[in-house]
Amino acid sequence: MRVVVAEDLFLLRNGLVRLLEAHGFELAAAVGDAPALAEALLAEHPDVAIVDVRLPPGFTDDGLRVAIRARQAVPGLPVLVLSQYVEQLYARELLADRAGGVGYLLKDRVFNDDQFVDAVRTVAAGGTVMDPQVVAKLLGRRARQEPLARLSAREREVLELMAEGRSNSAIAQRLFVTEKAVSKHSSSIFAKLDLAPSDDDNRRVLAVLAYLNG
Amino acid sequence: MGKLVALLLVVLAAGVLVAWLRGGDDRTAKARRGRLQLVAWAIAALVLLAFVAFLAMRSPNAAPAGSKPTLLLIGVAAALILAVWPWLARRIIPPALIGAGLVGFVVAHADLNTGGTFFGTQSAAATPAPKLCAAPCGTSPVPLPALPTLGQDFLLPVAYLLVLVGGWLAWRSADPVLARGRLLLGRVNELAPRAQLRSLLLLLVMVIAAELLIPGNWTPAAAFAFALALTLGVGVAMLRQWPGAAARLAVAGLLFLGAAGLVLALTFQYGYAPSDYGVVVLGSRSSPGMVTAQAVVLLALAAWLAPQTFPRVRRILGLPPDAELTRQVLQLTESRAVAVDTAASDLRRLERDLHDGAQARLVALGMSLRAAERLIPVSPEAGLALVAEARETAAKALTDLRELVRGVLPPVLADRGLADAVRALALDSPLAVETGIDLPGRVARPVETACYFAVAELLTNAAKHSGARDARIEICHTGGRLRIEVTDFGLGGADPGAGSGLAGVEKRLATFDGIMAISSPPGGPTIVVLEVPCALSSPKTSSY
Repeated sequence: MRVVVAEDLFLLRNGLVRLLEAHGFELAAAVGDAPALAEALLAEHPDVAIVDVRLPPGFTDDGLRVAIRARQAVPGLPVLVLSQYVEQLYARELLADRAGGVGYLLKDRVFNDDQFVDAVRTVAAGGTVMDPQVVAKLLGRRARQEPLARLSAREREVLELMAEGRSNSAIAQRLFVTEKAVSKHSSSIFAKLDLAPSDDDNRRVLAVLAYLNG
Repeated sequence: MGKLVALLLVVLAAGVLVAWLRGGDDRTAKARRGRLQLVAWAIAALVLLAFVAFLAMRSPNAAPAGSKPTLLLIGVAAALILAVWPWLARRIIPPALIGAGLVGFVVAHADLNTGGTFFGTQSAAATPAPKLCAAPCGTSPVPLPALPTLGQDFLLPVAYLLVLVGGWLAWRSADPVLARGRLLLGRVNELAPRAQLRSLLLLLVMVIAAELLIPGNWTPAAAFAFALALTLGVGVAMLRQWPGAAARLAVAGLLFLGAAGLVLALTFQYGYAPSDYGVVVLGSRSSPGMVTAQAVVLLALAAWLAPQTFPRVRRILGLPPDAELTRQVLQLTESRAVAVDTAASDLRRLERDLHDGAQARLVALGMSLRAAERLIPVSPEAGLALVAEARETAAKALTDLRELVRGVLPPVLADRGLADAVRALALDSPLAVETGIDLPGRVARPVETACYFAVAELLTNAAKHSGARDARIEICHTGGRLRIEVTDFGLGGADPGAGSGLAGVEKRLATFDGIMAISSPPGGPTIVVLEVPCALSSPKTSSY
């Protein structure tokens, strides 16, 4: 799997590259600023890109803007955005094209390399991975609103974990239930959110989007 | 003419009566004031109409019988506007007064130079007594020689009065359209009210000076109108750019005009007729006494304003410092103290948070790692557990630092500016917050930060105390001011005196000359409006 890494701090960039290579990823490019990232995304066509929000030359949200623009040029280009902080506003902007293949995580999540690599793979496969902090912030507000109000407490838990990018087996493990129970919950969620039967992955993405966009 | 005025009076009175009755049983002081204002507006409208009628009547070409219905129609329309849309009257009358005054001004000047009427220049030249017609005569024109001379003595003072009253009303008006017109005067708006008036005096001085200096043989009214427009244009440009210098120039101009008047009055005695000098009383018939009186008035005005305008004069005369300036200095001292206090307490908080949070965790991290170092040769499992613990401590230190950064300068604010930062706040709030933000550029960073934390505080208040489920934030930038309106649909009854939160917001905004207004009746909604004067920079765009 070919990956582009954009991170301006040399130590972190090196750490990321080492971590990814240790897990069998092939490095297409490792860049340190926004213009180089924009070029690498369009030239390399990576299977997934890992992008820091704050990049030179602006040191504001340059990375995020480049990622969003690249996804306009190449719809569904898988991008995992890393940041020192997570903002619902940015999450929404990333999700706005409803194409999937998007991740938005705190940089701390790199500490747990297995989970981080899982997240990278989920994004590369077209899934959606949101940081638990984003999901938690949404929880308080969205619960009251239709059509999410129709979900049972258990179903909402399952959807929350789905939004964090976990697979059915991971969700089952986390909630101490069988994988079959999880898939039963998820079909019930799809039905309640009026998602027409299609391939499971796509419906997962749509359900998560429905959840995140309120 | 007399009948016409009476008729207009009746129509206007009827309009005011209708408006009065529409007020119903509302006996509050505000309603009473509103009604009194209505009468004042009606009087202003009447004066305006009478002036327009006067100008129209002077025209030998216009048959008074024909202009009568037109004037009556205008009168009825004015009464209707007063009765049904008083706000429209407030919007229309001040500019109309100014416009009519300026027209009257040009007409009077042309009269002076032709010795006849402006409208009847040709006929005035042809026949010494122009064929003018009084209003009621209709079919058989009767020569009316009194009217033109009346114009010379009467027209100019009235024109000055109309312009002054109209200008004052427009300046004091709360009407948004007129306020926008006021912005044409640029930096004058940044001054204190009294300093504004001193600066505006420049326009008056320039018009008087123009009258004095424009050669008397400039017969065509168009030439005079052009000179007048040029003068006013220069005056407005000066006010826009250098309002302070404008005030000084105005006072110096008064001094000059007054002195010139005295000199002219003296030379009068020796047969030199200053036919072009004289503001209130003008024309070939002005007497030395009148010119002297006028010069004295101008000099007195200059003497009164000079100490306020030139601090040096105040010092030479040994007068106490300007009260307005003293008040401003006190206010600045206070707001500076608040700013310094805020900065110091922010630093203290930052230091404490770092000390108790991230620093302490890093110490713990070092200790865990050192312990793990010792344990690994002895008991690798226990050592590994300690390393895992160290990793968790590192994560917690990061969380601490993140919270700290958010409190100092929220990342979205740094990245995107106020508009998106407030949108992010709205998303994070436990309330359902709607936003209506119209900010095409960025405001200065310190103002941006202060406003952000003010909005954050207001939203937190609303979520904690108001019991509201919905709120609304509106932000726009008009007239050189950033305006933020935060509304919550809760219980109301918010009191800036009760908690320190609202008072703190007000104090911090005062550093930027910002103000806060609260409306929070019991039962809600609570509306808090913040206004801060600031410029809007154009948005930065990147090309990659």
